[in-house]
Amino acid sequence: MPFLNSFLPSLSRSLSTENRGGNSSATSSVRPSYNVKETDDGYQLTAYLPGVNKKDLSITDEDGVLTIRGERSWKQPSEWTSLYRESRDLAYGLSLQHENVIDADKITAELVDGVLRLTLPKTEASKPRKIAVS
Amino acid sequence: MRLVRYTYPNNSRSFAPAFPFSSFSGLESEIGRLFDAALGDFTSPQGAAGRFPVDLYEDKDNTYVRAELPGVSRENISVETVDDTLTISASRKAKEGEATEAVSLSRSVNIPESVQSDKVTASYENGVLTVTLPKKEEAKPRKVSVSVS
Repeated sequence: MPFLNSFLPSLSRSLSTENRGGNSSATSSVRPSYNVKETDDGYQLTAYLPGVNKKDLSITDEDGVLTIRGERSWKQPSEWTSLYRESRDLAYGLSLQHENVIDADKITAELVDGVLRLTLPKTEASKPRKIAVS
Repeated sequence: MRLVRYTYPNNSRSFAPAFPFSSFSGLESEIGRLFDAALGDFTSPQGAAGRFPVDLYEDKDNTYVRAELPGVSRENISVETVDDTLTISASRKAKEGEATEAVSLSRSVNIPESVQSDKVTASYENGVLTVTLPKKEEAKPRKVSVSVS
């Protein structure tokens, strides 16, 4: 449900500055397709990063911005000539803003067959609390 | 009525002085994303989910087809050649709690006729499928040395 994901309040999306400019080829990137699901304990982020190896992937969480960057590990051999292209050689880049509701120390990531699954647990303070009435 | 796919203007530098706040650029990109999400499914009859990007390469011995198929297990990928068409089909199963969600993907590409279809091989790595289609001997470029007397 991409629409629901678009309206998640606490994980608002913003293009990072490196995605905007596009004048430097070293930092330009494409946004991978992804979705975010909210669970009771946190958020489950799935991003499709075909062609990215574990060692070429970096995930950082700084100042309430979670950044995923993945370089494609495959390079076209020099003796291959391309006849038809649909994919791009650019790296994947995704920056998601959150209001520090995520416990950065407990983020877990798993990359299997080009699919990145990130578990972003909510901080204890941001979880709903039930107050007993005495 | 004609439906024209909305293309989000990449070069928004002209807006930059008017909207100096990052929250606006976020909204701008969000609108672009909503258009993509709404029209992407609407304009293509197969839907964006059924298609995946395919690249074609060749060198002197083989033709190569590379397809981006993230998150598909190897046993759910099938590669078929019929005459001069290569068909790649795959299905992806995603667990959503108790329900499993299955997505079928299929793509056909035209390949040169000069392929030895019995020697086609495929490999899958990091979510990318590479199909190697060896060329027939007679289709390979041949070096002929001519002695000039």
